[in-house]
Amino acid sequence: MTSSGAPIRIKPDQAIAEAAALGEKIARGAALFSKLHDDDVAIATTPKDEVWRQDKVSLHHYRPLADKKVVTPVLIVYGLIGRYTMADLQEDRSLVRNLLNLGVDLYVVDWGNPSRADRWLTLDDYIDGYLADCVEAIRERHGIDKVSLLGICEGGVFTTCYAALHPQTVKSIVLTITPIDFHGDTVENRLGHGFINLWTRSLTPDDVDRLIEAYGNLPGEFMGSVFSQMTPMRTLMKYNLDLLEVVDDDKKFLNFLRMEKWIADRPHHPGEAAKQWLKDLYQDNKLIKNAFMINGRQVDLRNLTMPVLNVFAKDDHIIPPATSQALGAKVGTRDYTELALPGGHVGVFVGGKSQALLGSGIAKWLAGRE
Amino acid sequence: MQAMAELWGRGGKDFAAAQQNLFFGMAKAAGQKGASGALPASILDTEGLTQANQAFGKLWSSAIELSQTISRNMQGGETHDPIVAGLLGKIFDPRAWFSGTDGMDQALQRMAEGPRLADLWDTERKMLTLFNAWTALRRCSLEHNTVMLEAWLQAAGKFAKNLNEKADRMEALGSWRELLALWVETANTALLETQRSEAYLKSQRKILMASTDLRLAQQEIATFYSEMFGYPTREELDDVHRTVTELRRELRALQRMSRQAPVKVDTPPETSPKRTRKQSNPRRSASS
Repeated sequence: MTSSGAPIRIKPDQAIAEAAALGEKIARGAALFSKLHDDDVAIATTPKDEVWRQDKVSLHHYRPLADKKVVTPVLIVYGLIGRYTMADLQEDRSLVRNLLNLGVDLYVVDWGNPSRADRWLTLDDYIDGYLADCVEAIRERHGIDKVSLLGICEGGVFTTCYAALHPQTVKSIVLTITPIDFHGDTVENRLGHGFINLWTRSLTPDDVDRLIEAYGNLPGEFMGSVFSQMTPMRTLMKYNLDLLEVVDDDKKFLNFLRMEKWIADRPHHPGEAAKQWLKDLYQDNKLIKNAFMINGRQVDLRNLTMPVLNVFAKDDHIIPPATSQALGAKVGTRDYTELALPGGHVGVFVGGKSQALLGSGIAKWLAGRE
Repeated sequence: MQAMAELWGRGGKDFAAAQQNLFFGMAKAAGQKGASGALPASILDTEGLTQANQAFGKLWSSAIELSQTISRNMQGGETHDPIVAGLLGKIFDPRAWFSGTDGMDQALQRMAEGPRLADLWDTERKMLTLFNAWTALRRCSLEHNTVMLEAWLQAAGKFAKNLNEKADRMEALGSWRELLALWVETANTALLETQRSEAYLKSQRKILMASTDLRLAQQEIATFYSEMFGYPTREELDDVHRTVTELRRELRALQRMSRQAPVKVDTPPETSPKRTRKQSNPRRSASS
């Protein structure tokens, strides 16, 4: 401590040393960067085969990596915001690989790249159309009555709706970071958590309609900017300080780049489906009220009579835990389990500790329901 | 969308620029090292920030005073005409630079929405609507930046307070990294608090709506020229896409029905076995 009680004690020689170390770091980073190829940052590399396609939607079957321990095939359903590749970011941070290694038979649906031409597609089309056809294709391929579904985020809502409408075709459902009570952000009201909920409620239904009228869809870069706002300082520091932290470490640097690759790949959300997502669900909160309609049919959560595993991240700032946990009181099954994992919305899939717990937790739960 | 993203991002850029200025100031101050080689505690204290605020206030007062002086001088020192004084006051009011061009907006609005006489001035009207939307977006952007600036001032104030409290507790930050971490944490909290405020949500909604209006005004111009030169308009393309979507929806429903329908047993197997198989499984499958 200085006698004056000055809060900052940075000596000039120390500052020079820090600057020199930083210079070396940048030089090493620049050298590493110059050697990189696109293949080095490839994501979603686990081998799989396309088994069905309709319009822009395709269904893929992952090649097994171990003996089958869970007989019922599991279909991974991601949402229209972001892409399923997050579940298979890189070899050592991949929910897909973890599940395959634990003997789960896995499929994934890829919604493709919706453009303005897909403006008129609704959630009804995705849930009761494409997703229903994917389930049907898997049932046909295996000659079985039921499949299990693994929904992620918005895909978890698709999974919930589909399972409630067609329970006779669903063996069990696993929901991860899935919003059910879209006003559940007010339960904890944590600073920096649930901004999308708050922001959407600050708009009127007319605002949403005009937005879609103007752009035809919910542009991917628009949703990207909303997500960036949720971590404002991190967004500002990401490409300078955060990058500097990892730039001289091959492994960390490649991890950083792969994550950036996933973030940059943000498809547009078809307009009419976006209207339902923002107005019916985020604004009017119809799902938890059993008032959400798909193809003229009510999505009644009491029809979720199959086993349900509900996974949420304790520090999820996009889908606050209470928005997911609300499902427990609404399902029509006694076999309802919650799995709370450390980390945030994406961290639960790619974070060092959580992603291992996630894969083993799901595989164990599925095996217990065979 | 790009315009909106740019404008939205501008708030962040301004904030980043403000940060750079802060750290530039710190770095400059670091050059004036004390006897021990450490930064003098007074550089980032609340008093300094208060002084900076006062300087801004003085500048603002000067601007107001200047605008009033100009208004007075423009009248040649004659007895004040309230109408002229009001007009000049508006023209030289510096607030107009911050909050946008209300008067111009209103005039353009009247022109854009005035009575339509056949096709007279129709193109000009569309252009004015577009310009009107553009100025509205600019105004909303400035208003949003003002909210962001307030957030920054709050953050900077808390940051200085934190440093002072550390000094009181005889704690010290030993590296720039620690200093930066404290700033990031403080600024992040201030920004997140601001994001939950009514003012932030309101100004952001206004930007979003203004950018939407601008986009729609641009589309109207595009439609006008598309019709003039015989190209399909956005509306016509949307109609086509809607039809295609509906047809595909019907096709999927028919395919589903045909899958669920029992295969006719009275069809002689030798006549068309391939067709029967296809009908029973019309799904397009990469594996089949």
